[in-house]
Amino acid sequence: MFYVALRIILYDKVRSLITLLGVVFAVGLIFAQMGIFLGLMETSSVIVDHTPGDIWVTSKNSKNFDFSQPFPEYIYHQVTAEDGIQSAEKLIVAWGIIRQKEGGTEQVEIVGYNPDTGIGGPWDMVEGDPSLVKNGNFAIVDESAMKRLGDIQIGEYRDVLWHRLQIVGISRGVKSFTTAPIIFTSFNLAQSLVTYMGSDSTVFVVAKVSPGHSVPEVIKSLQKKLKGVDVYDKGSFSRKTRLYWTMETGVGFSFMLTILISFLIGMLIVGQTIYNSTMEHIKEFGTLKALGASNYEIYKIIFSQAMINALSGYLVSLLITIMSAKIYEAFGMVMVIKGWVNLLVLALTFIMCLSAAFISIRKVKRIDPAILFRG
Amino acid sequence: MQIPIITKGFSKIYTEGQFTVNAVSDVDLQLDEGEVVGLFGPSGSGKTTLLSMLGCILRPSGGSFELYGNNVVFQDDRKLTELRKKYISFIFQGFNLFPALTAFENVMLVLKLKGIEGNPAEQRAIELLSAVGLQDRIHFLPRDLSGGQKQRVAIARALAADAPLILADEPTGNLDFVNGRKVMEVLNDLAKKQNRCVIVATHDNRIEDVFDRIIYMEDGRVIREKRREG
Repeated sequence: MFYVALRIILYDKVRSLITLLGVVFAVGLIFAQMGIFLGLMETSSVIVDHTPGDIWVTSKNSKNFDFSQPFPEYIYHQVTAEDGIQSAEKLIVAWGIIRQKEGGTEQVEIVGYNPDTGIGGPWDMVEGDPSLVKNGNFAIVDESAMKRLGDIQIGEYRDVLWHRLQIVGISRGVKSFTTAPIIFTSFNLAQSLVTYMGSDSTVFVVAKVSPGHSVPEVIKSLQKKLKGVDVYDKGSFSRKTRLYWTMETGVGFSFMLTILISFLIGMLIVGQTIYNSTMEHIKEFGTLKALGASNYEIYKIIFSQAMINALSGYLVSLLITIMSAKIYEAFGMVMVIKGWVNLLVLALTFIMCLSAAFISIRKVKRIDPAILFRG
Repeated sequence: MQIPIITKGFSKIYTEGQFTVNAVSDVDLQLDEGEVVGLFGPSGSGKTTLLSMLGCILRPSGGSFELYGNNVVFQDDRKLTELRKKYISFIFQGFNLFPALTAFENVMLVLKLKGIEGNPAEQRAIELLSAVGLQDRIHFLPRDLSGGQKQRVAIARALAADAPLILADEPTGNLDFVNGRKVMEVLNDLAKKQNRCVIVATHDNRIEDVFDRIIYMEDGRVIREKRREG
């Protein structure tokens, strides 16, 4: 029956092409929306995800990575004193202003980390080394920031919060959901630059649990002991950050709505063409029924048509998506193409096309025998 | 030997709102193997409705119907599908061939439904198409065949079902006289050589001489029967 479906599709070339375009359009849009959405989500928690450490201590009711408030540094000492903690680091994330070369200013996100351990610092360097920010007014800028800040060379100076900093490194892959450029400095420098924080505050404490200790148990213990802060495991804080941007900004709803609309458009296009094709072949299907074919055998032809449409449309869309990923990158967007996303979109495509075939199934089930006898 | 068809008081009533139409009324029939029967009558006389009921694709409103010893009335859809698959084959005026499939593939499709696949199915399809004189057209699409050739493919497809009862609705309706005669000769041969029962609904008077028996219908009733002499 699959063969019959394939022959029908190949015979009705114009209709099949329109169906294919419809599926490609719908699935391509789903791919793009999911890829960009996941790209944004990955971006929003990229530093949390790349920072080695099991536990994140944040200010009380902290909503996400980018908008956490400072808390007293003594919390850091309480964390390091906790049984089961192998090591801990302080991390500052704060907002600042950078002066542009040609005048004017731009808002930046300053990340201050310990250059001795590199925890919380850049993980992929185009030039330089994360430890170079030590002992001085030094900074590392991500290459993605150059769109906003202009071309930046190693060794040149930029004013950040009215302090002259020398650029000692260029990192790669560090972007913020807020689109503000990210600048890395040492923890001490960040503390002195961001004056509203005070000299004995930090924004995060990132801790590593000793081998043999359970992360949830240590977290539970810290939650009991520490006052005025929240304690999360790494995954939870990453999810919290992503969820914040997804839900609070409406970005998630917007993307999901587009995906749903694409799904429905695809379903309508495929449903319409399969229905037309079924109606065109209704006499032949009726004849098969008259000759002893069960409804199920005819359903197999219709579902096979839907499956062929789904698979061909999906493969073309996947190819276009892979080829267009570079174009998205050129526009500064992160397009995530992952195995599980591809499988999810494939499943959605099959659901879309098979659901579309159900209208035709109803028609076949109720074929009026009288039509067989009309010349 | 089983009798292909026995009906008693066979009828079909259509109801639309307050109106009822007796499409077929009180038809008593007994058809035998090897018999070629013509159902004649003007349009609306009930020929096609009777053929649909005999083919188990339309449920009767009343009467009894035995198909090769099986009581057909009150059977569910599944059982009717089984009976059709086992006993009945159809030929339609409009041929109803899959336009995307070649003559060979149209015949193969029915063989596949019968559970015959692979080499035996291919051999059988070629045999059947050769039997209706289309051995040089087996890989032609329906659009590349004449009306007569399409009808012969439809006959080959009907034969592929290997059913003892063949129901044909206006099989010569879209054909010229010569092709119409050829088609009827094929059907007549089938009945005589393979002992099948063939029922043809038609109003083509040019082929009256082919039938063993002619049943004339009017207003849903059998008004007379004529058997071929000798």
